[in-house]
Formats: sequence, structure tokens, C-alpha cells
Amino acid sequence: MVQGRYAGVGLGLRRPHLEQVAGMDSHGVPFWEICPENLIGDGGRHHRLACAILDRDPVLTHGLAMSVGGFDPWDEEYLQDLGDFLIRAGTPWHSEHLCFTSVDGSCLHELLPIPFTREAVRHTITRARALQARLPVPLLLENITYYAELGAAEMDEADFITAVLEGADVGWLLDVNNVYVNALNFGFDPKEWLSRMPLDRVAQLHIAGHKKFGGITVDTHGADVIDPVIELMQWTLRRLSRPVPVLLERDNHIPDFTLLLAERARIQHAYDAALTLCGNRHD
Amino acid sequence: MTDSRTLRLQRAMASLVLDADEEALEADPGRPARRLELSGADQGSFRDQGPGMLTYRELARMSLIEPLEDMFPVLKALLEGAGVWDTCVQAFLDARTVRSSHYRDIAPSFLGWLSATGWGQDRWPFLLELAHVEILEVVVARWPDSEPLDDLHADPAPEDLVVLDPAAQVVSYAYAVHQVREAAPVPEARPTHLLAFRDAAGEAHLLELTPATAALLVQAQTRTLAQAAEALNVFDLAPAMDLLRDLLRDGAVAGFQSPI
Repeated sequence: MVQGRYAGVGLGLRRPHLEQVAGMDSHGVPFWEICPENLIGDGGRHHRLACAILDRDPVLTHGLAMSVGGFDPWDEEYLQDLGDFLIRAGTPWHSEHLCFTSVDGSCLHELLPIPFTREAVRHTITRARALQARLPVPLLLENITYYAELGAAEMDEADFITAVLEGADVGWLLDVNNVYVNALNFGFDPKEWLSRMPLDRVAQLHIAGHKKFGGITVDTHGADVIDPVIELMQWTLRRLSRPVPVLLERDNHIPDFTLLLAERARIQHAYDAALTLCGNRHD
Repeated sequence: MTDSRTLRLQRAMASLVLDADEEALEADPGRPARRLELSGADQGSFRDQGPGMLTYRELARMSLIEPLEDMFPVLKALLEGAGVWDTCVQAFLDARTVRSSHYRDIAPSFLGWLSATGWGQDRWPFLLELAHVEILEVVVARWPDSEPLDDLHADPAPEDLVVLDPAAQVVSYAYAVHQVREAAPVPEARPTHLLAFRDAAGEAHLLELTPATAALLVQAQTRTLAQAAEALNVFDLAPAMDLLRDLLRDGAVAGFQSPI
């Protein structure tokens, strides 16, 4: 019962909170999201704490650096370790970003945009299918924020994402904050944009804070979630009419765990309200 | 076979992110696309979306440089004092040596680049050792865990081998680089031997060793304590045995092993 086990609003498991979380019998967080890159091949105290938590609590996994849209060969050894890790974690799926992160073997450690072109769609579909074939659980791809289109576009972002998801036949990790940020930067209506999208493929949502720098809004994961983004999450949940898990991302300016729990509770309240409205409570 | 348009666009983005000459890129964000001979329309996407393109440059460089600033604060202070920190970082980025998708590997990549290129070491011959000691405790603290060996005992005897904890390292430097700080980043030229290890709680420690103790710890991993002591002209093993018991208690030594 994947949906029951992973419904509600979870948190990203972050290093400053490991000690506290590992020591708590009850924390009220329905699931954690962890980044396998940060645990595979690591060791020591924080690693042991994180492993203890993933052996105890429900976990979803979210990768950062597979470069799905890139051209570098897969690290087959790492993928083997990743597969073992996903099975150990018991995650129902593994998510990656719809982007590229490395070029000619040089890792850039940033989520960079794939060109919105037919050639890039075909290439990304091939790569996503190849990655899916190497994973023991279903692959989800996440829509990213983008600050510029790479190359002269042949389609818009919505058509690009839809073509890749459907062509690769993978699920969608829908980041509603990314939709909101892109809407701010490129001047479109996020609800109209979502209405065009294959929402039946959504298995999970992300939500986060952002910040404006000059004329560009950046997905910082470093601030509380603003009300319009929460409202967009609620609108999406009502459209979905099913309790997909929502993950609150916080990677910068990470607050005390107590404050983060309060932020989670605020979003959980909105989550419950949205699902109550559509008559489909997750509990 | 010619490279695809998608790959050439990605190369242009990598160039925009990593290349030097910030001012020229700010004035003309289309430079990388033009240099790679992309089509006019693709060049236009770089040129006409300058603020967005330069946001990528700022974000990616932040991701790559922040781990260096965090892991090498004394090295940074030294090079900033000489006005060459940015030059050093750019030379590192130009070399494209960050090959790992693990964020924690960025700082070790920098250390490997310093070692391979010798950058700055004509002027600061201790630079590599300084970078190494700055990263040493983190490497030890995060060393992958392994199953303990089952044929070890806790009390050392002269005919035993010493088995260090897998995370522990004996390192020798020509400079006392473990004593520097940001306000005084130049180390004393003095042969220095350190044992880096982590305790049961996972905390990393550096212990300064005498040259004889360092040599004994290294040699007694492959020959018996008695043989190692004889080779080093150490005639009284009792103090070394006491130290080894302490190191076992503190987590630096995994145990002692009878030779096969």
C-alpha cells in the first residue's frame, strides 16, 4: 500500500538534524526523503545515524547527479550500489531531475536545463529508459527551475516535459515551487501550465521556498514556503484527487528541527484541507 | 561522426559556467556559443538571455567553490592574503578535474589537482601539505565503515602485528601544518608526524607522534612489533606497548594480530 505508507508531508533528511531525529521515538514525520549520493560510499557517525533512520522510518530516495539529459556514460558500479541501496531503503520509486549535470566527464554540480528541442527529447527518452532499465524500482523525473532556455527552443517547457515523461514512460515528481518560480521568471499562469500536463503520471510533489535576486527568482530551498505556492500545491492535490506524498525541501538556511517541524505541520494542515475538500482524505 | 546539437549546447553551457574572464562574459554571454560555432539562433539564446545564463554561472560556481572555502579555510586565507585565491580556483576549474557526482568529492578533487599540478608550490612549498591536513580530519571522520576483523586481540605482545582502525592514517609532513590558523597560515618548517583517527563516537582527532613512534606504527603493520622495534633501534618496547593500549582504547588501533 504505497499511497497509505507515503501519504502526507515528509521532510528531507538533513545532516544537522540526524542526531535529533535518530534519537526520537516519535516525530510525526510520515516519511523522509534522502539523497543516495550522500550516503553511498560514505561512512562515520552521520552515516550510521542516517542508516539507522532509513532502517527505521519510511524513506523516499531522490538523486541529484545522474545527468539524465547528459551524454556521459553511466557509472555502472555506482548504479549497482544505488540499486542495492534502493532495495535496502524500501523506497517505492527513485526520483532524478530532468536536467544534465555533467559534460565530457566534468561534473558541474548544478541542475542545468536540457534544450527544448526534438533532438533533446529523443536523447533524453533514450537515457531515461536506459536508466530505468538499471534501477530496481520505478523512475520518476522531476521538473526543474530554469533561468534561460538552452539553445533556440522548438517547443515550450510543458511540451518538452510531457514528451519526455510519455516517451520514456516514467512517473513525474512534480515540484510545484519550480512551476511557480518558472511562472514568475517567464511570465505564465502556473495553473494553466499544470492543466496542460499529464497529471496522471504524478507520483510525488515537492514544495520549497525561493528568493528573488535582481530580476530573477531562484529556487533556493532556503526559506519558508510562501502562501501562493502552498495554494498551488492544494490546487494540484484537488486536481489529482489522490493523496500523493508531498516533500518539503529545505537545503539552505536550515532551521532548528523544531521550526522545521512547525513548517511541515503548516503544510500538512494545508494538505489535509485540500484533500478534505475533494472528499479523499489520506487517512 | 559529428557531435549532436544537444551536446554542443551543453558544452557551451559548461564553458559559460567554468571559463575565466567574467567581465567579457558579462559583456557578451554569447561568447561560448560563438566559440563553439553553434548556429546563429543558438548563439542568440546565449546572447539574448544574459541574466539567466549568468545566473547558471553564479549557481554552478557557488556549488563548486563553496566546498573549497569550507574545507580549506587556512589555505584560502593564505592565498587571499597574496591576492591569488581566485586565480587558484579558476586554474582548478579550468582543469575540469571534478569528475565525481558526489558533492563530498569536490574538495578531494582540489587536493588531487594541487598534487598533480604543483600549483603555487614554488612559492609555498608547504601548500600541498597544508591542503592535505585541512581535509584529513574530515576524510577520517567519513571513512567508509567496514566489518571488524575477527582474529584480533586486545593486548599487544612483541610477536604481534599492529592493525590500525581502517579510518586511521599515519601521515608525515615537512611542515607543522596542523598548527596553522587563518590569522597565521604559514607553518613552521619542522618534520611532523601525525596519527589521524576517529574515536568510538565518530569524532576525528589528530595526535602528534615522535618520529620513532610514527615509524613503529607504520612498520609494525607488516612485521612484528619486536622486529619493527629492532629495525628502529628501539630497545625498550614497554612505553610503546602502553601507547598502543591507549590507542586501542581511543579507537585508532583496531587490535593486534598474531602473524600467520
